[in-house]
Amino acid sequence: MTGGMLLMKSLVEKDLKVRYKRSFLGFLWFLLKPLFSMVVYTIVFTKIIRFGGAIEHFSLFLLTGLLPWNFFAASLSASAKTLLDNQKLIRSIYFPRVALPISSVIANAVHMLMAMVVLEVLLTAFGHIPGLSIITLPVAIVLLAAMTSGFAMMISVGNVYYRDVSQFLEVILLAWFYASPIIYPLGAGLIPARMEAVIKFNPVAGAMEIFHSTMYYGTWPELWAWVSLVTWTAVILAAGLLVFKRMEPSVVKEL
Amino acid sequence: MRKGLIQFSDVCLDYRLYRDRSVSIMETLMNVFGRGTSRDWFRALDHASFQISPGESVALVGSNGAGKSTTLKLLAGIYSPTSGKVRTSGRIASLLDLGVGFHPELTGAENVFLNGALLGFDQKRMVELIPGIAEFSMLERFMDTPVKYYSSGMFMRLGFALATSVNPDILLIDEVLAVGDAAFQAKCYDRIFGFRESGKTIVFVSHDPEAVRRLCTRAIWLDSGRVRMDGPVDDVMGAYLDANTGRLINTAASAAPREWGNREVFFSRVTLTNGSGVPSRTFRQGDTLKVNALIETREAEEVKNIILGFSIHRPDGETVLASNNLENGEPLLTIAGSGEASISITPEIVEPGNYLLSISLTGNDTDYHWQDNFYPISMLGAKKMPPLRIKSLRVVGKLDKKSQ
Repeated sequence: MTGGMLLMKSLVEKDLKVRYKRSFLGFLWFLLKPLFSMVVYTIVFTKIIRFGGAIEHFSLFLLTGLLPWNFFAASLSASAKTLLDNQKLIRSIYFPRVALPISSVIANAVHMLMAMVVLEVLLTAFGHIPGLSIITLPVAIVLLAAMTSGFAMMISVGNVYYRDVSQFLEVILLAWFYASPIIYPLGAGLIPARMEAVIKFNPVAGAMEIFHSTMYYGTWPELWAWVSLVTWTAVILAAGLLVFKRMEPSVVKEL
Repeated sequence: MRKGLIQFSDVCLDYRLYRDRSVSIMETLMNVFGRGTSRDWFRALDHASFQISPGESVALVGSNGAGKSTTLKLLAGIYSPTSGKVRTSGRIASLLDLGVGFHPELTGAENVFLNGALLGFDQKRMVELIPGIAEFSMLERFMDTPVKYYSSGMFMRLGFALATSVNPDILLIDEVLAVGDAAFQAKCYDRIFGFRESGKTIVFVSHDPEAVRRLCTRAIWLDSGRVRMDGPVDDVMGAYLDANTGRLINTAASAAPREWGNREVFFSRVTLTNGSGVPSRTFRQGDTLKVNALIETREAEEVKNIILGFSIHRPDGETVLASNNLENGEPLLTIAGSGEASISITPEIVEPGNYLLSISLTGNDTDYHWQDNFYPISMLGAKKMPPLRIKSLRVVGKLDKKSQ
């Protein structure tokens, strides 16, 4: 194993180990958290606002989008703190610091993957048997994780200069959640066509669409979803690496 | 490049200084947006050049802020120079700050693995190194205990053992040896001398002339970021100590408290309390140290623009913290007859131990009253739960008459 891979593995292991110390339910939280939010959203959107009724097994549909979204949102929130939390370390030994935001994304991805296995079992049990298209899912997960890493790099640096970044992020994520096809499907006529066109420009819309079609519907994802995901991933990851590389020397002094 | 070589050519390093003066809530709010504070640059190293050959042991000397620690951080690769070039070859072990990468919830062994990965070692190599690390740090029985239950001494021992176990070509040392008990310090020095004998390059920053002379053959004197003198250790240390005689006498006298000034304005009564007003000389991490002073003047008129300052020193005289109301952006004092003033300090205690507190009243170019190293205080680390507590205890004794 190369040094970089080993470092990443150690940091991810540390992240996972530390997170569940002193926690009674421990690792189970990776499942409980999305399940709790699924219950809340299901009640809201089927009993209060009667909207989800149009979709069969609405709660499973929800969960299919919630898992990647939770991964995305949790990774970004964690990345805001990652450089600050490790400032003593950064200031006393040299190591590739980009490993810090990336490892926090990977730690969250591990949770998502485990929860997805459980979800896939549930989906199959309720008749949503995956088709051949499921083989594209790993590609989508890798791309989503790469895009998330790009965002994480930018946020981790930004938050060193302006602590407002992490506050601002919480607000943005709230809006972002509703602007992504998680609680509603695209192309089902549930939302105005013009809104749909706008939503398709959302960097995570493509990923959500692919998760829904491969896991929930068992169909091949539409082309626009792949184009969107690949393009956004390339742009965001490149921007993240560039920003991180450019700012790294001054960030170390700024911490 | 040969392993152990260091080349430092025409290196400059600038820091950005912030002047955060959040006086009012409004200003604090203003600072939230745009961090509306003035920016200044501070040149920590100013076209510094030197070369260190493999196997040399070199001391960096100079007063505080001369650029010694910055130089070490550049050598360790933590900072990159603003201009100029820093080149090193071979594996570097930095003893800049021991045990910083340790996570309190992880055990000693887990932390060793994590740190090993940060230093670029694979699992297999770390497995080989662990017994040696445990033995040297005398922590064999505690490797599976989370390090949050370690005493600060144990923590430092593990940090030192780990950092030096990697068989470096270049060893960077920043006065860390001041920590730990005497026996362990001696052990650390033995290991460092061992490195020197086996031809490793050593760069040592210390304020202790004795330690410098014992370990190093060459010294580089840094002054305001420039290399002022570079040569055999005795020559450089001699010149450096000569130039700083005044300062050194000051610090030498530091063990004994000193009081001076014209006393136009003076401290007539001083009490040290904690945040809740209880007199105290011992402070823990998170506590507030409050200096309450009754200040009087002998002048008939009121005295304006008085600066109330404080500084905290280590027992060796090294200043660790200093500030005053002017620097802190607070109003200057005006005293008519007598008045009360206070300083509240909430220090971050990085290194627990005994310290000396100095306070001063000064004006525009006048020294009213100085109380140097007047108040001994103790700083303790954060409270730790002991790893074991007694849940129930019974001690039963049975004495028979024969043994009495």
